[in-house]
Amino acid sequence: MTTIDTSAQTRADEVLVPAPRPQKRSFLDSTPAKVLLPAIVLATAIGLWEISVQAGLVNPITVPAASDTFIALFEMMQTEYFWAATWLTLQETLLGFAVGSSLGLVIGALTGTFKVFRTAIWPFVVAFQNTPRVALAPVFLTWFGFGMTSKVVMAAVICFFPVVINTVAGLASVDDNARVLFRTYGASTPQTFFKLTLPTAAPISFAGIKTALTLALLGAIVGEFVGAAEGLGVLVKEFNFQLEVASGFAVVVFLAVIGLVLYGLIELLERRLITWQH
Amino acid sequence: MASIAEVREPVLTGERITLHRVHKTYSAGEQPVLKDINLEIEPGELVSLVGPSGCGKSTMLKILAGLIDFEAGEVAIGDQQPQEGRRDVGFMLQQAVLMPWRSVRENVKLPFDIAGLKGQDVEDRVDQLIELVGLDHAVEKSPWELSGGMQQRVSLARALALDPKVMLLDEPFSALDEFKREHLGLEFTHMHEYMGKTTILVTHSIPEAVMMSDRIIALGAHPGRVVADVKVDLPRPRTAGLVGTSRFQEIAQEVREALVGEDGSIA
Repeated sequence: MTTIDTSAQTRADEVLVPAPRPQKRSFLDSTPAKVLLPAIVLATAIGLWEISVQAGLVNPITVPAASDTFIALFEMMQTEYFWAATWLTLQETLLGFAVGSSLGLVIGALTGTFKVFRTAIWPFVVAFQNTPRVALAPVFLTWFGFGMTSKVVMAAVICFFPVVINTVAGLASVDDNARVLFRTYGASTPQTFFKLTLPTAAPISFAGIKTALTLALLGAIVGEFVGAAEGLGVLVKEFNFQLEVASGFAVVVFLAVIGLVLYGLIELLERRLITWQH
Repeated sequence: MASIAEVREPVLTGERITLHRVHKTYSAGEQPVLKDINLEIEPGELVSLVGPSGCGKSTMLKILAGLIDFEAGEVAIGDQQPQEGRRDVGFMLQQAVLMPWRSVRENVKLPFDIAGLKGQDVEDRVDQLIELVGLDHAVEKSPWELSGGMQQRVSLARALALDPKVMLLDEPFSALDEFKREHLGLEFTHMHEYMGKTTILVTHSIPEAVMMSDRIIALGAHPGRVVADVKVDLPRPRTAGLVGTSRFQEIAQEVREALVGEDGSIA
């Protein structure tokens, strides 16, 4: 095939792209800075915490020293009941997340795709979204009992809404021009869904799923606070009742780590699945 | 249906386009957006539609692409009515509308994917298209890594993918800055001169219309109707130097005068 020789002409549109100028990279943009500075902040915070307890600025009965907290955590990690509680809370969280976010995806997809669903369901989504859903925890305890189920339901209910809302928003974000383009190619409804709608909605929907995982942990803990025999939430409550504040704090620190790890894992999954976000 | 192997060599004649007494109103009681439009576009001709907003130039393009209906009249591309998904009609918009999850190559391949075509022939054709628009150095890049002009080149390659006989261009260069716009316009003109696809270009730039077209249809608004049909008898291949010639200026002036008072505010 003969091609048109355009090489003699100036490629105006490329000439106009500014050549990358050697930028002065600030120290703050470098990797050492990004690790070092937060580390300094953390160390300072822990240091201030330790010093203020040791110096008697706060009551050590209500606020344990940083060192006592970490010792308590270390000791707890040698016990069986701690890991049993961790495993239970994790199960509640992940089951609640799985149920809540899958339901959220289904309801969100229906609401975002079919006008009849949108008209019928959307007002209730908005209403429930603005209701403090943790208030339902005692109700779920009555309905589903002291065991795991009431916590799974609480976690599911909390993490359901961000997924619904983000999925609907994602589906609504499909560019009208892109729809027109697909029509000119005579794309079928499934083709338009899989080649256009789904990839457009995925990043926004996934942002909701990320929020949902963090919220599921919150839901499980709240459920345990309201009434449970086991779990990390129960441990926090019990230790505080018994004025073992160092152990109570230790569990909170551990919960923070769990939250971070879960978030890290889901972000890893996001990067795997949605490679076109930048 | 032509296979890819058959359409690899460019088709040197496009289809004839006819509009006969076409009438289109968007809502009852309003002025028709197109009123009694009669137009005959020869195979291989490049015709520009110019006019104020509301003159129905984009509507006419959408009718030809089969995207919207019209109340009365007859429209034909070749011997068939306009229809969505006709492989012999290529469509290009003001925005490049590239899929960010697809590379340059994958974006150009999209029409083949939708048409269910694959194989080595398709791969070769995609390579040729990318070379044709001068993006062979950016094949694996993602759309956000490209400048506006380069994005529009991808869009052009995609519009050419199934080797249509008719190209419908809805202000394809108007989102670009003046310099790039002129350059890409001229480059498209040269491709057109080589490929001979019947082309309708909607533009609001009179100089662009003069530079690229064989004919300029000036449309008035409220109701949308043809106010002038100006032949552009400048020599081909067109070159940037033509802008300075008196003939170029005369044609531009003729179109401008036909549009006086048609700024859309005057009914």
